[in-house]
Amino acid sequence: MSLSPVALAARRALAAASHSSHEGGAAKTWKILTIVVAFPGVGVCMANAFMKAQEHEQPEFVPYSHLRIRSKKFPWGDGNHTLFHNSHANALPEGYEGSDH
Amino acid sequence: MAHQAHAYHMVDPSPWPLTGAVAALLMTSGLAIWMHFHTMTLMSLGLLLLLLTMYQWWRDIIREGTFQGHHTPPVQKGLRYGMILFITSEVFFFLGFFWAFYHSSLAPTPELGGCWPPTGITTLNPFEVPLLNTAVLLASGVTVTWAHHSIMEGQRKQAIQSLTLTILLGFYFTALQAMEYYEAPFTIADGVYGSTFFVATGFHGLHVIIGSTFLAVCLLRQAQYHFTSDHHFGFEAAAWYWHFVDVVWLFLYISIYWWGS
Repeated sequence: MSLSPVALAARRALAAASHSSHEGGAAKTWKILTIVVAFPGVGVCMANAFMKAQEHEQPEFVPYSHLRIRSKKFPWGDGNHTLFHNSHANALPEGYEGSDH
Repeated sequence: MAHQAHAYHMVDPSPWPLTGAVAALLMTSGLAIWMHFHTMTLMSLGLLLLLLTMYQWWRDIIREGTFQGHHTPPVQKGLRYGMILFITSEVFFFLGFFWAFYHSSLAPTPELGGCWPPTGITTLNPFEVPLLNTAVLLASGVTVTWAHHSIMEGQRKQAIQSLTLTILLGFYFTALQAMEYYEAPFTIADGVYGSTFFVATGFHGLHVIIGSTFLAVCLLRQAQYHFTSDHHFGFEAAAWYWHFVDVVWLFLYISIYWWGS
C-alpha cells in the first residue's frame, strides 16, 4: 500500500517530532508538566473543594422501606451500624440517633 | 557445574503457592465463620498467612531476577504478558460492578421510586471532593511517567523524588476517600444505590492501596539500586497497574458520581 507524497511527508515529520522529544530530556518534560499542570490543577481543585465544604445540612428522615436495609445484623458492634457510620449524616432505620441533631 | 542450554527460567520448587492456597481457604471459610459465629480467628490467620506468602514469594522473585540474573529478555517478555493478562482480568472484574450499576440505574424499579438516584438518596456533589480526587489521580499519572523517564535516563534523585510524589498522591486520594465515606449521607445499606456505590468505589479504593504499596516497594528497590536504565520491569508493571487504577476511577467518576447524581 503506497501513500501519497503528502501523506508520506506528514508521516516522516510526525515520526521525527515524536523521536526528538523521546530521546533525552523526556524526564525534564514530565517534570515540567508535573509542576506547571498537575500540581496547580490539584491546588485549584483543593481550593474549590474546601471552599464548598460548608456544614452539610442533615437530610430529613423519612422511614422509606427501600433504604436503611437490615436483612442481617452487621458482624460488629450492635449489628445496626454500618462500617463508616456517622451519626450526624446517617439515620438508623428508626431515625437519627440521640435527640434531634 | 550444570548450565542450562536455553534462556528460560526453570523455577526452583517453592512452598509459597501452597501457603497462598491455604491462606485463600482460611480467609474464605474464616469470613463465613465470622458472619455466623462472630469469631475472627480463622479469617485473621488466613490474612496473616496471605501477607507472609506475598512477602516471601515476591522477595524470591526479586532475588531470582535482580541478583541471580534469571530474567533474560524472553523471561521478561513472559512477565509482561503475565502482567497484561492479570490487569485484563481485573478490567473484567470491574466490568461486572459497572454492569450491576447500569442494570439498576438505567431502569430504576418502582420500589426505588422509579427514579435514579432513588427517592430519599442525597448524592455527593461530583464537583467537590470527587473532582479533587480526579485531579489527584491524574496528577499521579503525570508523576509516575516522570519517574519512568527518570529511571530510563539514569536520573536517580529525580526518580526517587517523582516516585515519592506519586505515592504521596496515592495516600492523599485514599485519605480523601476515607473522609468521603465517613461524611456521606448514604450508607452501603441504602438499597441498590448504596450497594453499587460502595462496592464499586470500595474495590477501587482497595486497588489504590494495592497500587500504592506496589509503588512503595519500587521506591525501596530504586533506593537500593535494583533498577537499571534498561531493565526495570517491576517498576513498569507497577506503573501499568497504577494507570489502570486511574482509568477505573475515571469511569467510576463519570458513571456513578456524575451521570448517576
